[in-house]
This record gives sequence, structure tokens and C-alpha cells, in this order.
Amino acid sequence: MYPQVLFQNRQPDRTATIKTYRAGGGYRALADVLQQNAAARVRQVLLDAALLGRGGAAFPAGVKLSTVAEDAPYPRYVVCNADEMEPGTFKDRVLIFADPHQLIEGLILAGFAVHAETGIIFIRPEYEGAAAILEREVRVAEKAGYLGKDILGSGFDYRIVVHRSGGRYICGEVTAQINALQGKRPNPLQPPPYPTEKGLWQKPTVLQNVETLCCMPHIVAKGADWFKNLSLTPSGAGTKIFGISGRVQQPGCYELPMGVPLSEIIEDHAGGMIPGSEFKACLPGGASTGFLPARHYHIPMDFEALKKAGNRLGTGAIMVFDHKTCLVGVTLNLMEFFARESCGWCTPCREGLPFIRELLYEIESGRGKPEYVPMLQEMSRHLWHAYCAFAPGAAAPLASLLDEFEDEIQDHIKRKACPFSALT
Amino acid sequence: MLKLTIDNQPVAVPAGTKVIAAAEKLGIMIPRFCYHPALGSVGACRVCAVSVLKGPRTGIQMSCMLDVEDGMVVATGDPAAVAFRRQVIEWLMANHPHDCPVCDEGGHCLLQDLTVSGGHGRRRFPGKKRTHRDQQLGPLIQHEMNRCIQCYRCVRFYREFAGYPDLGVTGIAARVYFGRFREGTLESPFAGNLIDICPTGVFTDKPSRYKGRRWDFQRSPSICIHCSLGCHTTVSARYREIVRIEARFSPTVNGHFICDRGRYGFAYANAPERPRQGRIDGETQPVSTALDAALERLTTVSRTHGPDAVACIGSARSSLETLGALKRLCERRSWRGPFLWPDAQTARAVQTAAACLAPELRLSMKELEDADFILVVGADPVNEAPMLALALRQAQRQGATIAVCDPRPVALPFAFEHLALAPPFLADAIRIFARAAAGPPQAGVRASGGDAHPPDPNMPPAVQARLAAMGATARTCRRPVIVCGTQIVNSRTVARAADTARMLKSADKPAGLFFVLPGANAFAAALLSDENGAFNTLQAGIADGHVKAVLAVESDLPAAGEGLAPALKSLDLLVVCDYLNTAAARAADILVPTRSVFEEGGIFINQTGCAQRAAPVHVGGTPVAQTGGGDHPPRTFERSIPGAEALSAVQALDRLAGTETADPPAALADLHPVLAPFASRKWPDEGQLLDLSSEAAPSADWPPEEPPAAGKTFELVVRERTFGSEALSQRADCLRPLEKAPRILVHSDDAARLGIAAGDRVALTCAGGVIEGTADVRNTVAAGVVIVDRHRELNWPAAGAGWVRIEAKQIHKIEKERER
Repeated sequence: MYPQVLFQNRQPDRTATIKTYRAGGGYRALADVLQQNAAARVRQVLLDAALLGRGGAAFPAGVKLSTVAEDAPYPRYVVCNADEMEPGTFKDRVLIFADPHQLIEGLILAGFAVHAETGIIFIRPEYEGAAAILEREVRVAEKAGYLGKDILGSGFDYRIVVHRSGGRYICGEVTAQINALQGKRPNPLQPPPYPTEKGLWQKPTVLQNVETLCCMPHIVAKGADWFKNLSLTPSGAGTKIFGISGRVQQPGCYELPMGVPLSEIIEDHAGGMIPGSEFKACLPGGASTGFLPARHYHIPMDFEALKKAGNRLGTGAIMVFDHKTCLVGVTLNLMEFFARESCGWCTPCREGLPFIRELLYEIESGRGKPEYVPMLQEMSRHLWHAYCAFAPGAAAPLASLLDEFEDEIQDHIKRKACPFSALT
Repeated sequence: MLKLTIDNQPVAVPAGTKVIAAAEKLGIMIPRFCYHPALGSVGACRVCAVSVLKGPRTGIQMSCMLDVEDGMVVATGDPAAVAFRRQVIEWLMANHPHDCPVCDEGGHCLLQDLTVSGGHGRRRFPGKKRTHRDQQLGPLIQHEMNRCIQCYRCVRFYREFAGYPDLGVTGIAARVYFGRFREGTLESPFAGNLIDICPTGVFTDKPSRYKGRRWDFQRSPSICIHCSLGCHTTVSARYREIVRIEARFSPTVNGHFICDRGRYGFAYANAPERPRQGRIDGETQPVSTALDAALERLTTVSRTHGPDAVACIGSARSSLETLGALKRLCERRSWRGPFLWPDAQTARAVQTAAACLAPELRLSMKELEDADFILVVGADPVNEAPMLALALRQAQRQGATIAVCDPRPVALPFAFEHLALAPPFLADAIRIFARAAAGPPQAGVRASGGDAHPPDPNMPPAVQARLAAMGATARTCRRPVIVCGTQIVNSRTVARAADTARMLKSADKPAGLFFVLPGANAFAAALLSDENGAFNTLQAGIADGHVKAVLAVESDLPAAGEGLAPALKSLDLLVVCDYLNTAAARAADILVPTRSVFEEGGIFINQTGCAQRAAPVHVGGTPVAQTGGGDHPPRTFERSIPGAEALSAVQALDRLAGTETADPPAALADLHPVLAPFASRKWPDEGQLLDLSSEAAPSADWPPEEPPAAGKTFELVVRERTFGSEALSQRADCLRPLEKAPRILVHSDDAARLGIAAGDRVALTCAGGVIEGTADVRNTVAAGVVIVDRHRELNWPAAGAGWVRIEAKQIHKIEKERER
């Protein structure tokens, strides 16, 4: 059993109270840095801990906090991105349900680190239960003196607002989320200016994922080296919540050290493949990562190793497909999602994705033509020249399908039918 | 300057320039849909992709989003970039209907151009095309959403640039929709620009549907004559009919856009009722016969009663050549006139404005956008000169503070401060502002005129405090500008505005002065007339029997509402030369038709003193649609063009003067010193900025205004509306639905005192007759002011001027017949 950090207070059917959280050392880190007025130390320890953003982009969290200039204007904002809409991803919801104060403390620490005065939790409307819990626990934290005016006598003022999203995938993108919070259409904005310079209402804004913020109290309390040593590989740091789904016996959320081999996650933690299934491929980190074929079955799951394999760890949401699953069908399903969720701003995303979806649909329905394959190859390359990272993300499963499983596509076209339809 | 290489050609551009703009300097037109110089870069369409071979980031980049860097090497024809651009076109065409042969944009469609030039012709998309439901957007704009390529230009112009909220984006992904929340007429008077900026056929010109294709049209550069700003336009004509007007780019005047009054106000030139033939005593006659008769009868009156018995009327809608010919005619025959103004107050206000507009103070509309503080006095931009509102909006978007002192309920498409002040307070308002703007007295700084008079005790202290605060703000600003109207103010206010601009200027700032004048050629009319050149001066002469004959040239002055001014009915002879079927034309003893700006062209001097030339568009004559008996294509077999007999007003006036002007523009040089450049025949494309420095700016110690007796007197103010007021555009049928119902407006406190409620019928008994209309009550109207809309349904000319004082007892509520 690996050490449980973020899930230390996770219990079946129960949300940890502030009492439980404090009993495990919660809010001690906050009290400590507030008393010493050590905002710089918070930023430094997060830098040293090499905490990479857990929302999918893996941007170093400490670097992001440090980009807010000392003399930047006020008010400053911290936004917690709880708009968890990456298909297959459900770790943030589990984190909020398990231990809301861990997130609240993380959000206060991030706010303190950049002298912000408001923290905003941007949460998807389907997570109404989690939003209600957060609203309740924010009030509890206020009563306990961790939020409000002059927190713990330090002179630091901070409040947390829970904001329910309109509920679109693109709202998870940093600049689109900032637009959405201002009541505008959630179209991404190409930097510069970066949100840490001009974000919400043109003021410095730091946006962090739920899991990233949850790591912060532990890092501040126990130090950078402790956090780094949690990882099994030298390139990783900390633990990671892996949400595993698909053709495994026990799908669910598991907190495991960074760098744990994929085979171990599937076999030891998720109970192995379901009987009669063979591992064919998986998406290692949500819908906008590529298919990881069986030759990478033992790959250490950290940001670096997956990058080397030409893939991404993304959100750590592993979707497992077996030998009976049609990957053309899977990709078609993903393209349906991406084509539906595009914000509609730029041409590659708005028009390219439905075009690709249509080609895949024809192939999957047995009406594919041989010339569709080079068309798909060219379009998946061209998706990279879209306005934001949405279309390149959508291109990832498609490109890997074309690279690794072209035979499967050709099989569809040759047989004029889906070869897997008979198997399921 | 940064140096870079595009397609092996070196170019140097300032830092901050985008690659797409740098390429344009070399004549390389990189494809674009969403990029527009006025709307900026947003990177949505992705069709401007180029390959960066050397630079901070190499590979395919969007040239509209990419700032130039020193040493950058860009290839627009790189195979990778071309392949990507071709892909973008294929994606866009996947859903675009193949209706080019019947699409009104066909032939001048950016999407069509790029699709054809890019070589995309074979459809590879196996799916169905997306379809949308279109909206009814009013009489001017046809909506066809299926053609949309989602470049977002429309909403960026409509919402961000122009500041109107009723057109927007709904939906996401491939279902993005550009339209109104609910179907209905677009509210912006700049909506017509959607047609110009849409790169395909989503928004097309509705009145010109089915009239022809771009290549069918005779097209000429022209100048808009529906207000004093002189925006640049391109006019299209077919079969002797004006079909469409589009904005023509002007770097100093209107930029890329025009207003809907200017775009759609041309219908008068095609009107079936337009005079095409001469008429003598009700009998249709050839034009030359009518002209000979006019000469004979005018000469007879002149001989019998003396030349003083003949008066010549003109107006500010005539070209400079026509006004010059009229002036020469008066001089040669010693006839009275020219009378170019409705009243002496307006005449003096415009003449003062023209004289005060020193070269160092005047600024173009483009320069106005650069102001950081703008005080608007006695002007209602959206109604009087719509494009001015768009320029103010650009200044405001860049952070300018804008304040408006005007008695009317001024509405602008941005946040501004409105001080609703009655006209007598406006001059004092400027003085209070100027005193605060000047700061503590300094040696060598010229104080603004009229400082001897104390503030008006009738002006509320709170208003005075606001004015002082505005002055203090203006003092800290880099480029404060005074915008002053001339329709509802007297010359004292105009001179005060000029003095204040000069005072701000002498405080070491590029401060400026911007006037709004009544009429396209009001500036020219001011140069060619004196303060006696007002119609109500003439009316006295007619009434006492001195004036027996009137020659009215392209003038609406003799009209009163829909009828003829009562004074004219006692004349022995009324000769009218016009291209409009005015009330005077209908009542004329002799009618001589003239040619409009579209057939004759002409020079118009805008309110900044810039003389601009409109080119003729077609040769003239009755539209084929009106002569062809409904055939298609209509054919008539004649040696001459039907209805093309009309002479230009200059030719007609020369015949009456017994002279012949070989070169009308050159002949203008003798009429006024500032018109001297016309002798040289040099003519820059962007117009000739006249040198006004020879004009001495009058800054007399103006007598104080007679204070209004509170509650007993009212200031009657005539309000121009965007649609329905201006003499030419009010004849366009397509603009009628956009006209707001004309009203008589009063402040709610005054309404209570007068016992008037909104919706009541009200009669105002004025010197020139009774103005009867429906009342409206607003808090945004200045107290002590009654506002009458200038609309054909109201007898507004009875007021006698843009601003007159009336007594409370002249305002009556009309009891409803039924209740009696």
C-alpha cells in the first residue's frame, strides 16, 4: 500500500469534516505561513517541489504563482478550476466529496502566496452536490477564522466564492473560464497578456486545478523533498489520483505515487482486466491524449515518461480498451464530443472536427473510402494550427489511431463494415 | 522601424505591426476573412496562415496575430502554408451553400474569390450541409445565415466598434449563429455596414436585391450629401437608376464605414415623381422653353419693378458650383440674394463657425478619435451627423471622457455624461467649463471671451459644479476637443466654443474644434452668403410687396411642412430649378428640372473646410424601369435618352445670367479668397483642405442672453432625427419604417405644470403658424424647453428657427373631439 496523502481522509459514504481535517494536520500549514507572513516561502516551496499542474497541461504550479509580479495591481484573483469535463476524468469530484477543507486550505494558500483577496471555485453545474458541500464548508472555514477579514490575526483578508459554470467543456480552458466568469462567451484568448498579468477584469489571476490546490497544504507542511520523494521515478513528484475506467474489474479513483507502472495500476489496483478481455490500448489521461498501445503496457505513469512515448499524462484518467473494442468507434465517439463542445471560434475546431467526425462515421458505418485515410491524416495535422489547445487535444486520439491502428481502419474499409460489430 | 523579409522582398514597418499589414505594404494581399483593419486581429478564420522561416517561432503562423520582428523571414507561398489555407477553405465550404449564381454577394464575395483563387472545387465532405433559420432584420438588410463562415466580423463591428447590443452570437460549435435575440429591425443606424464587412453573403443589401450584379453596375466614387461630414461613398447605378451605395475608405473622414442615412438616402434620384421636363403655368414644356420663359419673365419683373424685386433662394444641399453660379447670377443681375439659410440665427451661427475654424484648431474625424476629452455642445450626433457618433465611440473606447450639453434627449452608443441645458445656458456652460479648464489665471494666457458676465443665476448650482469639474478634467487631458453644433445655438455659443478651444490649445496641447453644420455644403454656403441671406429676412420683403419674383434653386426653404410658405403665395412669379419634387416645385409658375449629384457630380465643402469632389455616376435620364413598360430587359428605341433633358443647375443659372462658365470649379476662385486653390486645378483624391487662416476669427464681447422668465417662457427647439428629417433621405421609402414617430417633447416637471401627459395632442402657436403634434414627456429633456421633431408630419417650419422663445400661453393641449 502506497502512502495516501490527498485521500488520507477519504472514507466511504462520508465527507471529512473540518474536525477530521484538522486532526490530520489540516490548516496547520496555513497558520504557520500566515504567522510568519511567509508568502515568498510558499511560492518557493511549491517551485522546489516541482508540482506540475494536475488539470492536464502540467504547467509548474510554483512558476505560475511566481509570474504574478510583486508590483502587480490589486485586486488579484485565484480561480480553482473545478470544471472537470475531460471525458473519463472524475478525480476532482472525489477530492471535493472526500475532503473539501483540503481544497479550501489549498485555495487560501495560493491566494496568500500572490496576495489575492478573492478565490473563486468555478464548478460545473453537474457537480451541484459538490458545489453545495463547498459552499457549506466555506462557511465553516469562515466561522473557524480561516476566511474573512484579518485571518488568524495576520492582516490577510480573503474570501472564497463558489461559481457554477454554464457547463461547457471549453470553460475548462484558462482564458475561456476567465471570459465565462466575466459573463462573456467562453472563447479562449490567445496570450499575451497572460492571465497572471491581466486576467479577470484585467487584474492578475492565477488559475489552478482542484488536485493541484489539494497538494499545496501538504507541500507547505512537509516540504519539497518529502513531496518529490513520494514519486517512484526521479522525473516525477508527488502522488497522482488516477481515475481508471473501461474494461477493468474495479474501475475507480486511486491515489498512487507518480511513476507507478500502468500494468500495476490495472492489475493490482483496478483488479485486472475483466474476464475474457485482453488489453489492447488505453487513453492515459483523458480524451485529449493519444491511444497508448500494448507495447507501453509497463510504462511508468508520470509526465516525463509519457511525453517520451509521444503521449501525455493529461488528467491521469485512464480509459482501458480491450481487444473487442473498436477503436474507430471510440475515436468517433470522442469526435462527437469534441465537435459538440468546440466554442465555435476558429475554423479548424468548428468545421474541421465535424468534418473528421463525418469521415469516421462513414468508415465505422462501412461506407468508408480508401481516400479518407490520407484526408484524416492531413486534417489531424492541420488541427494543430487552431486558435487554442482544444483542437490539438482532439487531434491526439485521432493521430494515434492513424499511427498505431491504421490496420483497423483499413479493415473497416475493406470489409465495408465494422469488424468488431460481431464480437460484442 | 523593424526590417523583415516577406516573399524575398525587404520591408520596414514600425514595431507592433502585424505581418499581414506589413505584407500589404509590399502589395502582397494575404488571404483573410476575420481580419479587418478597423476591427483588428482575432485569429478566428485561420486563412491568413503563412510560413515563418526565420523568427522567434517558425512554421505555420497566423499572419494577423503575428507581430513583426527584426530579421523575420516570412514565405506566404510556402507549400505547407498553402496546403493549410486550402484546408481552411475546404472546411469553410463544407457547409457553405452552392448558391453563388443567385447570391447577391456573388461577384464581390471574399469567400468566392478565395475559393476560386485557391483552387478548391471538388467536394470531399460526405455529410449534409448545416442549415439555419434566417431572421427578418428590417427593411435594409437581408439575412441568410446558411452562408455564414463565422468570421465574427459582424458582431465585432456591431457590438464592439459601433456599440449597439441587439446583434450577437448565440450557440456554440458548428451551430454558432449571428443574429438578434428575437427577430426584428436592427436598431443601429450603422447596421448597413454589416453588408460591407461581411466577407460573404450573410448580410446583403435588401433594397437593391434583384437589381443586378456587381459587374453590371456603373460605379463611381462619390461624396455623401446627407449631412455636413462629407463621408466618402461608392455609388452603383444600372439602367439609369441608382441601385446601391457603399462606404468608400477615407483615412481622414469616415474610415471604412458610413451611416444608413447615407447608404440608403438616394431614392430621391430615382423617384418617379422627380421633375424630368420643364413646366410653364401648369403646361409641360421642353426644358429650354421653360428656361427661356423664366429668363423673359424674371427680366420683365426686374425691368418693371427694379432688380430688387427679384430674389434668389438656394440651399446648403447644392454643389459649390451651383452656389457659385447663383451668387454670380445675383451679382450680374443685381437681384437680391442668394438667400441660403432658413433664418438669420442659423446663418450667423454657421458663418461664425466657418470664420472661427482656424487651421490650427480644426481636426478631422480621424483626429477626433484620438481625443481624450470631448465636450459636445448643442449637437445631437446620432441625429444630426450619425458618423460623428461612431467617431466619438472610438474615442470613448480608447478611454476618452465625453460630456454633452444639449437640451434634447441625446442618446449615444456609449456611456457619457448628459447635461440637459436650455439653449440660453449653453454659452454660459462653455464659459464655466473654460474657466475651470484654464485653471488659475496665468500671465500670457488669453482668457476666454465674455468673462465679464457673471454666471447665470438661473443655472442650477449642481450643473455649474459639474461643468467646473469637467473643465478641471479637461485641464489634465492631453487632447481636449470641443464639438459644437449650429442648428439650435446662436453665434455667441459658437464663438465661445471656438474661444475655449483656442484657450485649451494655447495651454500647450493639441486641442481641437469640431463643428457640426446644417447641410452638406453649409460651409460653402457660409462663405458665399452674408447674415442677410436668410429666408425670413426675405419673407418680410415679400410681405411688404417689395419682392415680386423668387427664383428658388434646389431649395426647400419656401416649404412649410408639406405646403408652401404662406408668404410665397402673394408672389407674381415663382421660378423653381430643382431635381426634387418639392412643394415649391409643385407650386412654381415655371419649373426647370436640374441634374442631381449622381448625374452631375460636384464639389462639397464639409464642416472641417475640406472641399471634396463627387464624380458623376451615370449620364442621367429617367430610369429604364420607368420607361420600359415593364419589359425585361426593358427596351425603348429612341435617339435620345428619355428624361435626360435636364441641365445642370450651373448651366441653367448661366443661361439666366446670360453668361457661360467654361470651367465652373476655376470660376469659383474669384468668389471668395479661400476658394483660390480652385484656380490651379490641382485636386488631391482625399479632398482639398481650404486654407482658412486669412479669415479673421470674430470674438466680440457678446451681449448677455436675455434670461428666460422661469415658468412663463419656453425655449422651442427643433430636433433633427437620423431618419425622416433631412431633405433628401426622407424621400427614401426603405427608410420610412425606421423613422421614429414625431413628437413634441417636454420635461416631466413642465408637463405637470402645463397639464400635459404623454400621448396628449398639443398645439404650439408660433409666428409662422401652428405646430400640432403628439406630446411625449421625458426627464432627459432640459427643463423649460419644448422640443419639436423635424418631420414632414409636423409643421416645424412654423417655429421660424432651430431655437426660438415662446410663451407658456402659446402651448395648448387639444381636447379630444369625442370628449366634448
